Amino acid sequence: MDAETIVRLGTGAGFEEVVANTYVLRKSYLKIANSKVDSIVTKFEKTGSLFVSSKKRVFFTNIDRLERKDVDAAIARAKKSIEMVKPKEDYYGIAEGPFRYTKAYAPDHKIRDITNEEIADLAYAAINGATSEGATSVAGTVLVRYSENELATSKKAHGSMAGSEIRLSLRAFRGSNFSAQDTAASQKLMALDPEKLGADVARTAARAARTGRIESGIYDIVYTQSPGGSLIYMCNAAACIGNVETGSSWFTGKINKPVANPGISIYDNGNMEGSIDASPYDDEGYPTQSTAVIKNGKLITYLHNCSTAKKYNTRSTGNAGLVEPSANTMLFEHKKKARDLDALIGELDKGIVVTNTWYTRFSNYLTGDFSTVPRDIALYVENGEVRFAIKQKNVGSMVGIRVSDNMIRMLKNIECAARDTRQASNWDTEGNYFFMPSVLVRGARVSVA
Amino acid sequence: MAECMKGIEEADYAIGLAEKLGAEYAEAYVESSYGYSYALEQGALNSSSYFEKLGIRIRILKDARLYVFSTNALDKANLRRAIEGFRGFRGVETRLSEEKAEKASYKVDDRVSVDTHDFLNDLMQIDKALAEKKYVKFRSLYGGAGRSKTYLANSEGSKITANLPMVSSFISIIVGNGTETRQRILQFGATGGFETMRADDMEAQALEDSANMMKVIEKGVTLSQEQLREIKNVVMAPEIAGIAVHESVGHPHEADRVYGREAAQAGTSYLTPKNLGMEIGSEAITLVDDPTVRNSYGFYLYDDEGVKAEPKVLVEKGLQTGLLLNREYAKVMGTHSNGSARSDSYSNEPLIRMSNTYLKPGTASFEEIISEARNGVYIKNFMEWNIDDTRSFARYQGNEAYMIKNGRIDKPVKNFVIESGTIDFWHAARLMGNDLKRFVGNCGKGEPMQGVPVTMGGPTTLLSFR
Repeated sequence: MDAETIVRLGTGAGFEEVVANTYVLRKSYLKIANSKVDSIVTKFEKTGSLFVSSKKRVFFTNIDRLERKDVDAAIARAKKSIEMVKPKEDYYGIAEGPFRYTKAYAPDHKIRDITNEEIADLAYAAINGATSEGATSVAGTVLVRYSENELATSKKAHGSMAGSEIRLSLRAFRGSNFSAQDTAASQKLMALDPEKLGADVARTAARAARTGRIESGIYDIVYTQSPGGSLIYMCNAAACIGNVETGSSWFTGKINKPVANPGISIYDNGNMEGSIDASPYDDEGYPTQSTAVIKNGKLITYLHNCSTAKKYNTRSTGNAGLVEPSANTMLFEHKKKARDLDALIGELDKGIVVTNTWYTRFSNYLTGDFSTVPRDIALYVENGEVRFAIKQKNVGSMVGIRVSDNMIRMLKNIECAARDTRQASNWDTEGNYFFMPSVLVRGARVSVA
Repeated sequence: MAECMKGIEEADYAIGLAEKLGAEYAEAYVESSYGYSYALEQGALNSSSYFEKLGIRIRILKDARLYVFSTNALDKANLRRAIEGFRGFRGVETRLSEEKAEKASYKVDDRVSVDTHDFLNDLMQIDKALAEKKYVKFRSLYGGAGRSKTYLANSEGSKITANLPMVSSFISIIVGNGTETRQRILQFGATGGFETMRADDMEAQALEDSANMMKVIEKGVTLSQEQLREIKNVVMAPEIAGIAVHESVGHPHEADRVYGREAAQAGTSYLTPKNLGMEIGSEAITLVDDPTVRNSYGFYLYDDEGVKAEPKVLVEKGLQTGLLLNREYAKVMGTHSNGSARSDSYSNEPLIRMSNTYLKPGTASFEEIISEARNGVYIKNFMEWNIDDTRSFARYQGNEAYMIKNGRIDKPVKNFVIESGTIDFWHAARLMGNDLKRFVGNCGKGEPMQGVPVTMGGPTTLLSFR
């Protein structure tokens, strides 16, 4: 059953508002371990979802199958459940369509039709690229996704799109002391160069010939794209009005106030060209857009869907989330630019190059106090020269340092960025992409094992 | 129960077909589950939702290659296409340990039913109580409940059904006085009905923790770096013991990390095939993972490969003794699986996971431990924590912590964190309390990320650092 039919059935059942989605998903994960293909997991699902409202009562349910009886059951369930829930007094309705959308990007049918053998070939190309540059062991994942979506609403929004994605995440080990990890992703199969990623990751793992120890203290830090983006992309989630209202945001109460270095602008973009997560419409069918969350260091806006926009007398930023707004893809810009990563390293008198982080955790989301753990090679730099890879204890790939910082402090102390912006992600961001350059952060606190 | 569950016929069909097409091993796992959830923010109902799902996962071992397929389209034509379409790939040779074929059906009762109890009313009761405290500035509550029915069968003759009701809840609280705030996220959950997760208990905990956080704000002292360096005795409450057990002992004992399968995702381990049996801590510590704890959040009696669950001693009197194993790594180690394979859904592969992991209690009372510490810090709970990917260097931030002076609890302290190497940390364990308590969590691992319900716990423990 298609989304428009589900909306018609839902409207016929007496709901004031109905939003229906249908999805088709084919996804394969290939796992690389110890320089070999370990296993392949493939999934295929056809599902749907239904959002309804009546008299400020809202209810959301999945539709596990798109057969008529399953849709009827979901509508009946919604009918029964919505009677039982209390009104959401600050609910102001979904977007009023119809809308004209920009053209969605064309998915790559080669990704849809790829075989397990071909996925394995990509994995081995990456492994070969890494081992040819000195990697002694390689681990990783190849993800292949093809998806289709149709959205329809009772307020005349209607859109459909298909998406494709291929993502290669690779971690290369060089002996027992050095490792590096990075991700390459594209909407197009042919745009992915697995051998190059393998070689690049192995070369990163080889950027220092020896290991050494440092003391706890204050250091300037260069974050490459993946770790820098995995920290800063959280700013767009913090700008979502739902998080602001619940105190789960370091941007609470800071509209029009300086929250970052004056050279920094951070955008939320739902439909950026080349963005793997691009969609012409959000979850209520409102057209997606580019929104400056931070412009020249100042917090400009929170992110809204149509209901929260009405509540705050502003316009939707194309960030539905039907229940509450959610962030799209983050794009980071800095006016002060360095030529490349090496130029940023050249700016460090006493600093650390962090190439990967994980386990970023907050002690207080309202203040933005957090710590994060560098993983994989972290380079100690003195007077612009890489001295050694930090290794505080002789345990496997352990680096043994921790960065403790505050989001606002960090944003205000990002002095410049390299001209190396690219679409990146890491394991900690669970598949969320961001467009991020390498950045230089002054004066972060580092503790050591 | 088993007879009325959908998908059983399709599962048996898939196994038969895979065998016919030459599979050395075939397994089918059917999940039929449903659940509902509510989210309250600042007293208002923000969302109300329901889900149901029915799907199947098929695992095939053919020519020693492991292939996993999942779908919610259970028609036989779709299953046939997937099974016939598997052509193998160049890769590692996977073998599975020999295990007994199991035939079992088990169920957990929900005496206060997940289907009829007014959970929203529970959440509103807790929210109302928190709202009455002026110092509670922000409050968000989430509650979810439901039931999962599963059927697992394999080509070796295992047939296992399970029927497990589950309840869970998160309460996020920010307290403050205008100049300073503190945040706490409480999590509750159980396998069972609402008799295992009572609103009054959750309310009492939320109120107590909120009041204590305010005491930390109003009366907490900030120690100088020199004072912090002088602290050698740390008493960790069961909540800290639990997170430390989970992060620095449980995870590194997952065999797939030890052997490198998770290296690009959830990481590696300080344990390697060469150092198994190493000394991890003092003789005072014994650590166990036990899925069979009745009504626990991490409860199961058979794992997702059909292996009977059992308590596993990971560390005994300070020495590393066992790993968490699935059938693949049991075969690698030349032993039997100890039933540690779990998936968060039919749509993901089973991985080696923890269940209910805890530090065994001793006999000391809380007062005896504080008295023994004499001077130091008592750390009661945490908000921020993390650990490196080998699980060797962890941090637990003291959200609520107190000075210990002359054997008594003294003023709250604001800026205390435990930041320590794993081996140093567990060697510092000197005296164990008699007050084992387990805490609920959702543990993430793999790619795609799978969150499975677990508990982590321990007793009040005295750590004496050198």
